[in-house]
Amino acid sequence: MSIDELALILVRGLGQGAIYALIGMSFNIVVNSSGILNFANGTLMILAGVLAFLFLPATPGFVGWALVALAIVAFLFVFVLLQGVLTLFPLKSSVEQHSWLITTMAVSVIVSACIHLYGGSLAFRVPPLLPPVSVFGLSTPSAYFLLIGLAAFWFVMIGWFHKNTRAGLAMSAVAQDLDAGKAAGIPVRRIQLYAFGISGLVLGTTGFVGAPVINISAETGIGYLLSGFTALVIGGLGSNLGAVVGGSLVGVLSMFAAYRFGGIYQDTVTMGLLIAVLMFRPEGIFGLAASRKV
Amino acid sequence: MKLTRRILASLLVGGVMTSVMPAFADDGEPIKLGAFVPVTGAGALGEASLVAVELAVKQINEAGGIAGRQVQLTVADYQTDPTIGVGEANRLVHQVGIDMAVGPTYSQVTLAVLPLLSAGQIPSINVSGSSTFTPAVGPYSFSMLPNAETQARAMVENAIAEFDAKKVAIFSDNGAQAKTAVAEIQKVLEEKNIALTGIQEYNYNSQDLTPQLLALRSGEPDAILLFTSTGDDTANVLLSRAQLNWDVNISGSYGVSLATQALAAGGADLFNNVIALNYAGFTYCKADGKPQRAIDLVEAVRAYKPDSAARYPMNFLALFYDSVFILKTAVEGNGGDTSGPAVAKWIEENIQSFDGVNSGLAVGAGSHFLIGLDALAIVKPATIDEYGIQERAGC
Repeated sequence: MSIDELALILVRGLGQGAIYALIGMSFNIVVNSSGILNFANGTLMILAGVLAFLFLPATPGFVGWALVALAIVAFLFVFVLLQGVLTLFPLKSSVEQHSWLITTMAVSVIVSACIHLYGGSLAFRVPPLLPPVSVFGLSTPSAYFLLIGLAAFWFVMIGWFHKNTRAGLAMSAVAQDLDAGKAAGIPVRRIQLYAFGISGLVLGTTGFVGAPVINISAETGIGYLLSGFTALVIGGLGSNLGAVVGGSLVGVLSMFAAYRFGGIYQDTVTMGLLIAVLMFRPEGIFGLAASRKV
Repeated sequence: MKLTRRILASLLVGGVMTSVMPAFADDGEPIKLGAFVPVTGAGALGEASLVAVELAVKQINEAGGIAGRQVQLTVADYQTDPTIGVGEANRLVHQVGIDMAVGPTYSQVTLAVLPLLSAGQIPSINVSGSSTFTPAVGPYSFSMLPNAETQARAMVENAIAEFDAKKVAIFSDNGAQAKTAVAEIQKVLEEKNIALTGIQEYNYNSQDLTPQLLALRSGEPDAILLFTSTGDDTANVLLSRAQLNWDVNISGSYGVSLATQALAAGGADLFNNVIALNYAGFTYCKADGKPQRAIDLVEAVRAYKPDSAARYPMNFLALFYDSVFILKTAVEGNGGDTSGPAVAKWIEENIQSFDGVNSGLAVGAGSHFLIGLDALAIVKPATIDEYGIQERAGC
């Protein structure tokens, strides 16, 4: 393998991996505060891409770009917050009751159907925000670099939020012990809704920034969801560092598998990695082993 | 006792009459047409298929129907799933009682529903390309898709004729039809003594295909034989090729002629050194002028679905549109008989006389594929115009 080929696989693999990492982090935010896995994450990211397709002007200036980005991210924040209301409303305890399994899936199906009704099954093509970058003479979409930067940004921001804000600290407390959090007077429902909203912010920015390299169509959300979830399980459910490392591993390995063995083996190799990791560390690379009463 | 005998005799005579009489019906009774289309699910072409059938039925009914009978359409959305397809086929055959059918598009669904259609002696025209679709499997069914073998042979011959290719690589999606085509391409390459430098596959809807192309590039082929099934996948392959700054020649399947998405994504330059197969009815040489039937169909679709017509691949839509008219022509050619054996016999003997958007249709020996090499043409995909018509290469 030549140096340019290696660079291509690494850069694109890390770019793809950043998408999975961001989906993984959006999973974590919600699952840490409520125990709920939001299975609509993939489709919600696609929804942000569809909105970028609809509202980005053909030749956006910086102001137009920023305004559309803000509008989309704000929309996703509100939308996912509302999803949180609908998901949490029927639950007395999201940890002990599991209707969210279906309600989060249902949101995914409904959003996909709406996208399908609007645009059919064809992919929405979003033009790149910035010109491509030359890496060893090979043209690389700038969106890959932006996604890597975005994953780093959200990794730092979420960490900062958890350590330095009251809501973040409350979220961390709820993540450690929901009942103790309740007993300490933390408004658990409100904190859980914040978590849904913040995950919407992560997905909104991911869909918008990554739109030029994400296959945006009614059917593709589930694929990104599965890859993001796989990356998260490899890295360790609940750990943002795990999401970043797992996402990078899945992204790079998937690209390498396509190059070395053929595109058809991408998923096989990724799943092989998942099985290998789970055999030795069932909690994932950075996951914490859960204690259970005996 | 006498009464019982009379009843038995009446039933027997009635049964015999029913079995020997052609499937005629009263003038007032509509002909029931079933349409297997993937309106929802992973099918990118389902909506276009449905519009094609609806439009054809509308035009036929407005013109007086088939042999004086109106056509009643029932849609079966099989969601690209063979299990759902079989359920829908049961509904159409046993509950609705269809007289004939068009679709499905996906080979695996077609093969799943054919036993039901055959058992009911229901004539049908599908749009599937698997080599396992034979007259033995579907004696009353025909396909409007060129089979994988036909496309494979044409792709290799085009690569040799247009690019003087002596070593080639194969790149395809992972669908059933593509797998058949790849196997056939390998046979043809061996037969023609052309070297194969590499084979790669991709999953449908994969956006970044540079790793696979990078692997193929190392074999330094003169041309890539590219088998895609959708315009989106074609766009993804060509965008990835451009990102590698690799201007390798491409001899493509019919899917590569679906150029709209690639043109929107990257412009005409993406199609440098690219040729593909298309239905001859949607191609032209400047000297001959553009095909009027294709233009008429596109304008009719635009009038029928003004908001969404722009996103339909018109050459694919024409396959379903023509399918309905083939059934109409066959039934009328039989004096109104809608039974499978009669319609199939007419098609086998007379299809070359069919004058639709697609022409040059034929039935080969032991084959029910209506699109042969005569109904296909090599095109320069980027020349696609507002009607979806493309200029032929080598005019």
